[in-house]
Amino acid sequence: MRIAVLMPAFNEEGRLASTLQELAAALGHVGPAEETRACVFLVDDGSVPPIDEATVRAAAKGLRIVIARHAVNLGQGAALETARRLALEPRWQPEEGPFEAFVTMDSDGQHRGSDVLALALAIAAGADVALGDRFAGGSEVPASRRALLAFARAFERATTGLRLSDVHNGLRAFGPRAIPRMRIRQNRMAHATEISRSISRASAERASDDQLRVVEVPVSVLYTGESLAKGQRASGAVTIVVDLFHGFLFGGNR
Amino acid sequence: MMQAEVTPAAVALVGLLAALFLHDLVSLQRNRRLLLVQLAVFAGGAWLIVYPEVARRLAHFVGIGRGVDFVLYPLVIWLVRESLLSRRRRHEEQERVTELVRAFATSGAHELDGEASAAAHSSKRAPAHSAAVAASCTE
Repeated sequence: MRIAVLMPAFNEEGRLASTLQELAAALGHVGPAEETRACVFLVDDGSVPPIDEATVRAAAKGLRIVIARHAVNLGQGAALETARRLALEPRWQPEEGPFEAFVTMDSDGQHRGSDVLALALAIAAGADVALGDRFAGGSEVPASRRALLAFARAFERATTGLRLSDVHNGLRAFGPRAIPRMRIRQNRMAHATEISRSISRASAERASDDQLRVVEVPVSVLYTGESLAKGQRASGAVTIVVDLFHGFLFGGNR
Repeated sequence: MMQAEVTPAAVALVGLLAALFLHDLVSLQRNRRLLLVQLAVFAGGAWLIVYPEVARRLAHFVGIGRGVDFVLYPLVIWLVRESLLSRRRRHEEQERVTELVRAFATSGAHELDGEASAAAHSSKRAPAHSAAVAASCTE
């Protein structure tokens, strides 16, 4: 299977190398009968200092890596969108044929390489969108995080109509039918809501040919002191709502 | 004839206007037209502060209770609109910057060489594929 991994990175330092190592270990050791070819579209979102290519190369042995760098920091949503566009460019398609699954994941080590494969397999099994569900996956989600995510879930249900158990998980997979419809215009953290909305709309299309099949796959999310410190705080929720409102006001025809 | 009302508040406000104008006169020397407009607006404001009866009569004429409100109502409406427009400008500006930074990033995107050559040239950059980028930037 040909998998494109879309990975934004901003000042991840050592965590990026270990993330890539684990990913390479998970995607590199699949038997020859079921050959997996993964290409990581790594977008350096203006890290200071810039991501060191030698380190990446050493960590990601056996993986194809396409790297691009934002000259200034734009935000995770913008970096994902850059990765998405790169993955759709003809020049990066594998010689064997176009990518069959597009998986988005964080670069700070909270997502497991084996889960990336699990999501990609769900796409291979016929789903158009496969979403990671950390609550079914036995992650030890801290209480503060649970409360924030419950709020996000309620907000998502109210605004997108999508009934998902884990809305703000960065681990998602898209099939070739879905990925061109997932354009991200929210540069910062509000992109998660934007993606949910795109999925919601696409799964409710009138014509059955346009409808996307969405599944949820249990995944585990690893919380470390570092990832929690760098991750979203509750105050970020306010920023997200403001960003969404600006998108609603000024976004024009989407 | 209308009476000038020189209250402590009027003195303070007119003093503030004068100080601001003097400051801008020094820092915006080259923008003479801007300074002229500012002088006109500030002078009008100072006039209304020293002779509040003017605003009071105008307010009564159009059916607003206080002279101050006659000045404040349009000002608030104008400021709210200005704030919305500037937010929109900022939003559009940000979208432009995003596309610019992204175009730059995609044109510089390159594949890292395999493990074999990794040690040989660790920081060598692959050339940009500008033709492919030009094709990919059109949506």
